[in-house]
Amino acid sequence: MTTSITESRVSRKAARPSGAPGGRRPKKLGRYFAMSPGLLFLAALSLYPTLYSLVVSFTRWNLSSGEAARFVGVDNFVGLLTDGLFWNSVRVTLVFVFFSVLIELALSFGLALLFFRGFPGDKLLRALIMMPMLCAPVVVGLLARFSLEPTYGIVNQLMRSIGLPTTEFLGNVDLALPTLIAIDVWQWTPFLFLILLAAMQGLPEEVIEASKIDGASWPRIIWHQFLPLLRYPILVGVLLRLIDSFRVYDIVYMTTRGGPVDATSTMSWQIYNVGFRAFNISYAAAFSWLLLLLVLLAANSLMRRMVARS
Amino acid sequence: MSVAHRRSINWNVGVRAAVAVICTFLFIAPVLWMVTTAFKTGNQAFSGEIHWFFTPTLENFNEVLGGTRLTYALINSLQVSVISSVVAILLASGIAYPLARHEFRGRDQIAGTILSLRIVPPIVTIIPLFLVMRTIGLNGSLLSIIILHVFMNLPLAVWLLRGFYEDVPKEIEEAGAIDGLGNIGIFFRMVLPLAMPGVASTALLCFVFSWNEFLFASVLSNAGSQTVTVALTQYVTPVGTEWTLIMAAGTVVAVPVWLAALAAQKYLVRGLSLGAVK
Repeated sequence: MTTSITESRVSRKAARPSGAPGGRRPKKLGRYFAMSPGLLFLAALSLYPTLYSLVVSFTRWNLSSGEAARFVGVDNFVGLLTDGLFWNSVRVTLVFVFFSVLIELALSFGLALLFFRGFPGDKLLRALIMMPMLCAPVVVGLLARFSLEPTYGIVNQLMRSIGLPTTEFLGNVDLALPTLIAIDVWQWTPFLFLILLAAMQGLPEEVIEASKIDGASWPRIIWHQFLPLLRYPILVGVLLRLIDSFRVYDIVYMTTRGGPVDATSTMSWQIYNVGFRAFNISYAAAFSWLLLLLVLLAANSLMRRMVARS
Repeated sequence: MSVAHRRSINWNVGVRAAVAVICTFLFIAPVLWMVTTAFKTGNQAFSGEIHWFFTPTLENFNEVLGGTRLTYALINSLQVSVISSVVAILLASGIAYPLARHEFRGRDQIAGTILSLRIVPPIVTIIPLFLVMRTIGLNGSLLSIIILHVFMNLPLAVWLLRGFYEDVPKEIEEAGAIDGLGNIGIFFRMVLPLAMPGVASTALLCFVFSWNEFLFASVLSNAGSQTVTVALTQYVTPVGTEWTLIMAAGTVVAVPVWLAALAAQKYLVRGLSLGAVK
């Protein structure tokens, strides 16, 4: 399947210019043979569709009309840039991504600090705290609707019990997006928490020892010793959350359907609407390219650092 | 002095534990509420008060699982998740093992490119792939969903498996070569068994992501090939007080994932962070 290690050590020792051992080429071929099915599969499902999508985005093509696609140049992109719903979805997405990732990072860092010095039962709590992020977002959406339901929902019941008024969280134009952010924070803070906790537990012994001395130096230790050493895990965690929150769709589908009045119409949701409900597939393709550019813009530098580190 | 010091540490541990219990409760309370509601009768659930203690009933589960759309969807999801995970592991191993073992030109580029596929939002992927599936007549089939789930899980699987294969000591392969095993024999009979805990955890993670996936499945499925997440959308506009049923359905969909995560717990963080945190 691949070059055996004995072989490669021998070949490393062997004087390179005098020619590689005869057995090397077939082994090398074996390596590519092993990699080829996976790589071909990935290429087939990414390169061709990407180009196809790009071509489609320069056409006018509505799947419901039965007419063939017609080349229209940059019409779709011009249309998008003057489309209020497009800009609305960009704003909604950026607000959602920014606040959910920021809040998740802050909360999970605090939680990880709370857990990492250990206490009886911490392993059990750590296992339990994972439950939200393991629920399918679709299940979380249903649960959120039930929890926030005005009459029977647990949130409104608790609010009433301390004298607060019954609130329609998902049906209120001003509250719907913050509520979606809260749902995302609830589901995904444990994810960043687990990553940060594991990273903190892997810190060098001296740093951990220093942190155990209680006193006023705590914030300084965190700032000067923890943060620099935790930069890479934070980078990876934030990158993954960033990528995933840009695609938020399931929760929107199950709770607000983009409403009320487009207040929660994220880009993924809007593209789905345009492409698979209005069947304006060419407009949706152009739209999705702009989403991809936005995600690349946001994630690219982080991604490069992650690849460089590994 | 030392006694006072120790006492302050104990006190700290107690406070930390208490705060941690409260925080954990905030995160799991909705889930607990979902599971408990699933075991309640309508009267218990909709009395306007929160009952944490009650006589549980299996009525909701009987109704949800008794030959409804969800039952068929569970079977579909099981097929999609298991097959797509196994295929993803096989394809990913072919890529990951050479990446883990050999330095060759373009290695980092291949690894980086595969990882960068993880950035692409699924809505971007699904538009052209929906058109392709429609053209070749695969849309509406379980196969089309399986293909997309393999595609979705491959970058994750490659990155994780690469790390797990790197962890296998190289001496094992030398021993295998001395025993006269070929490269395929060395991989399947010596490397794979040693890397098995990691490989199995990777497969479980792929299973979880496939099981929970919604967008691809909703675009590509028809009435007969719905997965569990798609079948749950029937509850999106609840009629009256169906909530006990809905929470039972949600619990049924969530339980396999909790079990899978429990089984993969040791490598869960490593898996979720794409191998970045061990």
